Amino acid sequence: MPNGPGRSQALRMSLPGRPRIRASVGPVRPPPGYKKADDEMSRATSVGDQLDAPARTIYLNQPHLNKFCDNQISTAKYSVVTFLPRFLYEQIRRAANAFFLFIALLQQIPDVSPTGRYTTLVPLIIILTIAGIKEIVEDFKRHKADNAVNKKKTIDFGIQFVLRRKPCPFQVAVGDIVKVVNGQYLPADVVLLSSSEPQAMCYVETANLDGETNLKIRQGLSHTADMQTREVLMKLSGTIECEGPNRHLYDFTGNLNLDGKSPVALGPDQILLRGTQLRNTQWSFGIVVYTGHDTKLMQNSTKAPLKRSNVEKVTNVQILVLFGILLVMALVSSVGALYWNGSQGGKNWYIKKMDATSDNFGYNLLTFIILYNNLIPISLLVTLEVVKYTQALFINWDTDMYYLGNDTPAMARTSNLNEELGQLCNDSVSLSGSHFPELTREPSSDDFSRIPPPPSDSCDFDDPRLLKNIEDHHPTAPCIQEFLTLLAVCHTVVPERDGDSIVYQASSPDEAALVKGARKLGFVFTARTPYSVIIEADNVIFERLSKDSKYMEETLCHLEYFATEGLRTLCVAYADLTERDYEEWLKVYQEASTILKDRTQRLEECYEIIEKNLLLLGATAIEDRLQAGVPETIATLLKAEIKIWVLTGDKQETAINIGYSCRLVSQNMALILLKEDSLDATRAAITQHCADLGSLLGKENDAALIIDGHTLKYALSFEVRRSFLDLALSCKAVICCRVSPLQKSEIVDVVKKRVKAITLAIGDGANDVGMIQTAHVGVGISGNEGMQATNNSDYAIAQDGCACSTCSLYPPPGISSLSEDAGTLSLTWHVRLTVEIGIGSVYMRIPLLKRIQFSYLEKLLLVHGAWSYNRVTKCILYCFYKNVVLYIIELWFAFVNGFSGQILFERWCIGLYNVIFTALPPFTLGIFERSCSQESMLRFPQLYKVTQNAEGFNTRVFWGHCINALVHSLILFWFPMKALEHDTVLANGHATDYLFVGNIVYTFSHLAVWGSMLIWLVFFGIYSTIWPTIPIAPDMKGQDSVKSGATKTREEKTYD
Amino acid sequence: MKQQQLPAFRLQLSANEILSGFFAIGLFCLGMGIILLLSAKSIREVEINYTEKCATCAKLREDATNFDKECNCSISFYLPQKMEGNVYLYYKLYGFYQNLYRYILSRSNIQLVGTDVKDVRNCAPFKTSDNGLPIAPCGAIANSMFNDTIVLLYNFNSSTHIRVPMVRTETAWWTDKYVKFQNPTFQNLSSAFAGTAKPPNWPKPVYELDEKDPGNNGFVNDDFIVWMRTAAFPNFKKLYRRLHRIGNFTEGLPAGSYSFIINYNFPVGRFQGQKAVVLSTLTWSGGSSLFLALAYLVTGAVTLLASFSMMAVHLKLKERKTFFLQ
Repeated sequence: MPNGPGRSQALRMSLPGRPRIRASVGPVRPPPGYKKADDEMSRATSVGDQLDAPARTIYLNQPHLNKFCDNQISTAKYSVVTFLPRFLYEQIRRAANAFFLFIALLQQIPDVSPTGRYTTLVPLIIILTIAGIKEIVEDFKRHKADNAVNKKKTIDFGIQFVLRRKPCPFQVAVGDIVKVVNGQYLPADVVLLSSSEPQAMCYVETANLDGETNLKIRQGLSHTADMQTREVLMKLSGTIECEGPNRHLYDFTGNLNLDGKSPVALGPDQILLRGTQLRNTQWSFGIVVYTGHDTKLMQNSTKAPLKRSNVEKVTNVQILVLFGILLVMALVSSVGALYWNGSQGGKNWYIKKMDATSDNFGYNLLTFIILYNNLIPISLLVTLEVVKYTQALFINWDTDMYYLGNDTPAMARTSNLNEELGQLCNDSVSLSGSHFPELTREPSSDDFSRIPPPPSDSCDFDDPRLLKNIEDHHPTAPCIQEFLTLLAVCHTVVPERDGDSIVYQASSPDEAALVKGARKLGFVFTARTPYSVIIEADNVIFERLSKDSKYMEETLCHLEYFATEGLRTLCVAYADLTERDYEEWLKVYQEASTILKDRTQRLEECYEIIEKNLLLLGATAIEDRLQAGVPETIATLLKAEIKIWVLTGDKQETAINIGYSCRLVSQNMALILLKEDSLDATRAAITQHCADLGSLLGKENDAALIIDGHTLKYALSFEVRRSFLDLALSCKAVICCRVSPLQKSEIVDVVKKRVKAITLAIGDGANDVGMIQTAHVGVGISGNEGMQATNNSDYAIAQDGCACSTCSLYPPPGISSLSEDAGTLSLTWHVRLTVEIGIGSVYMRIPLLKRIQFSYLEKLLLVHGAWSYNRVTKCILYCFYKNVVLYIIELWFAFVNGFSGQILFERWCIGLYNVIFTALPPFTLGIFERSCSQESMLRFPQLYKVTQNAEGFNTRVFWGHCINALVHSLILFWFPMKALEHDTVLANGHATDYLFVGNIVYTFSHLAVWGSMLIWLVFFGIYSTIWPTIPIAPDMKGQDSVKSGATKTREEKTYD
Repeated sequence: MKQQQLPAFRLQLSANEILSGFFAIGLFCLGMGIILLLSAKSIREVEINYTEKCATCAKLREDATNFDKECNCSISFYLPQKMEGNVYLYYKLYGFYQNLYRYILSRSNIQLVGTDVKDVRNCAPFKTSDNGLPIAPCGAIANSMFNDTIVLLYNFNSSTHIRVPMVRTETAWWTDKYVKFQNPTFQNLSSAFAGTAKPPNWPKPVYELDEKDPGNNGFVNDDFIVWMRTAAFPNFKKLYRRLHRIGNFTEGLPAGSYSFIINYNFPVGRFQGQKAVVLSTLTWSGGSSLFLALAYLVTGAVTLLASFSMMAVHLKLKERKTFFLQ
């Protein structure tokens, strides 16, 4: 069955007899979008960390035996008292700072330091002060935010305590029973008992948690629904057992054991989370179960793992290398001193009476370590921090990445990965499928509520012919009516009356679109009452269809067509139940829903019972229109040799189609499809494909690999992994469809580890979080699908949230051409269609105009990434260069002063060299340097290769700079030495001393060090000038200009 | 609004600008080199190494016990051309490490500025004499002061030797003489130094360095100050005397036969060092420095060469560019 296991969502109804739509109390299953924090596919369940925290038991109206965390929250790093020790600890933990502290301590030993006692301590203190100020500023912000939250809780929450067990006036504690009134935010995680609405229903908005602004329904248990007064609640006794605090927003399992009654299950429907807002409900009562840091909100705000950029790692290695060089230099000098003292020292009567320390090897070693310690740039770390902070600001400030519509700028949530953006390697940018707009599940529900709907927001699914069919009592009329009724009713959309108009609060755009489509056709959905509709994502609707279903063939045919068009399909089916059947089933269901263990599975089985012999009504297809800029951006990224892997939960046909429409896959590409059922078959298939490629394996072929999640599970198993990666890397495009969130992050992880490539993951949904955290760089789209992705990302870019859900009828293939052929038939195609498949396939067009976001990515990578990389690496190299230049001179000087450890420069000239004299040039380079203009970067994505291949910063370049610095220091020392050796350079004939030489050298060093920066500027000036004038063969031309530029640089440097 | 486009300055240098810059630099260096070369050529300089020539004296000084024995040494030389203008007399030491770390540290600036004669804190190992008195001036630098006396005689003819008049002041830096070095304020210089000992290597105490000229005695003695300014390299030259341009010597040193009479005190043989005496005129750029001139010339030549080759590349590229554009 081609469409069987698709991700098509089916609206299934289990209705308590006739009339079909009737209000009745019954269980509501969570809507499909609602479970997305975990896995959408049952087979890949996330590894639970529920085990971490022990389950808790809460006694109602009784004092607590064990202590739970209080409701104060603190996200700040420091307090006034802990600041100094913690800050110092954090700083000293960094190897470089520890090293300088060590040097500063060494200098306190009398007679060892050639540079005095405080020449390292003072710069170190300056640097720590700068870092400290930065920390204080950041922590101050956190403190302010915390205070606002903690205060808000006490005053603004508007909580009325029904019962409090804690004497503290403002805090709620676990076990408290609280009353929350409309419009208030929940102070803690609360189990809903009862509310002003019937059947203990209440509505909440969870924007604070996941960014979704649509209203969600929560419903208290029927057992507690009538506990509506203080007196009743005070008498309540029993316990609540629930799992320990965890971060799953959409999960909650517990049991309510009221004394004298059988335990009742508590699920995510009964819990109101901290930070959510009570809406459309006058009041509600609840029992506090989690407070403070135990709440799901706080559990979710834990910091993402600290990522370190590649450049940072390389820098650390190079600091170590420099430290090694330093040790070698110190050793060489000490040995030199030993030798000199042996051969000469004794004969030098003018120092004969010196104490023994000058002969002591250990002492000398320390002296030389102190002498050369500045080889490691003390200011590097703090310079980089400030530079990267500024770069992050640049990203935030970029007008091109700012979406005016919803006032969302791009946001660098971390600044230490800026340069990584410029390095995304030959391999994998993993794009979450849901990043592609056509896969997006939700148009901005945000927009429905806040921004007045743009004109195009109206649903133009207004084809009158469907209605006409009904009016004309066409044979299909009851079917159509049924279909539309179903569309109008079977969903989780919450209507909110706003004057005369009705605003639909949908958690899924699909649903909203369908409801709107139905409304257009006159099936207006006006109010939600507790209902017994079961809505669920389902893959196998067709398997459950009754044999009696009409139009199955036709629908299948259309579904297939829709899927190849890249549309998201849904099947609509129904079942008639008798009252008795329903009652029976309800019993089974309630039993299953109170089980603590394997509840999901049991429920699944339960649904199986009722969901059979469904009658097919028809199908719907929803499209998120492909945005304008996507193919171009993809092409640009491909040109920049960034490999794009699409990881999507969509089904294969849809995924391939998207691949085509965004031109990731082109028509003449060979498609390698992997769809196997077992490990052996997968291995065989992969081996076969590898063999087919033959010698082309490992090179980039014009082929696309399409693999589905099921096969991927085998492909990523240990033994096959290697050859799978070989195969995947030999293909131009890789599309993984129907992958679970866990698999997404697994793929990223494998690529990251095995291919040694820098990976970026971009996604907007909670199911992309794992992937975003795993990748080197995670980009979240701060759109409407919740803040989960954004909150876990390193960079957030805006999406155009102006989701216009226009629905329109879509002419199915063949028929549309028919209408074109014969003008007279142009109006009849739909009728024909309805005749054929019963009610017609409704095609909903939801163009999510997220055009901007993709070009945001382009700009983020190609411009900011490349620039940041250039800037950071040049800044680092420059810092190394300037220090090596100056301090190697001390080594040369040691050769002429008998390795005595004498300094050539005055001590504070050395001490303040980094923090004052040459503090600004690295900043200039790190902040303002532009190798190529923005236009050139975007126009010639090939330029990205330069940064991508780490041509600006690798061991070779580092050593190049060191050798360059070495040569410069040689020139800088030996030229003045030769020139000044005769000692009469002053016109009055006076002789000069060592400091005179030192100052001359110091001056020249500055000239050279600053000059070389000037030359960089000149060099890149040339580079970017020559570039655009010659549009032909930009690669070759670029090389030319690089070469000529390089020779120039070399020459000028010789001059220095 | 925070979102903004930052104005950016892009240095856009055309190939012509770069080339002209290179040519300018090359020409400047060449010019500088030629000027320096010419001025170096105009300098007259005579250097006489007297380590070998005063071998007997040198041998005597090898043995420290002979410190009280006088030894004079005479070196004759012929000046073929007269030395015009100011003529400076230097002594030059080879292989003397005035730049040793512990040597440089071994001095007391507080003592030398006259505030506390007994401050010898940093002067190890020459802090106090054997009988415990603080040494003034203390430290290794002062102790090892160059103490040869050099007299230049002009041999007018075989029998007439005229002592060439020399000025022994204003050989030190002004700041040294008037700021860094000050005698303790006392009516009598010798009483100002009461309670201190002379450096062990010195034949006489500091207040007897120049008894004729109180402005050149004690710590403010020019020879002493010049010595205290430690040289950067083991081979160095220090200004000893300046020609007093009077009488026969108003124009400078006339050509002819001269001889140096050297009172040989400073031992260099023990550290395989050498001593020389240098007579030199000066120009605006100081003494003769062929090296600097050559460095400029070579740099200028290389830059010009590079400029020419770059111009060739540029012209060739230009042709290709027009080809492409067609």
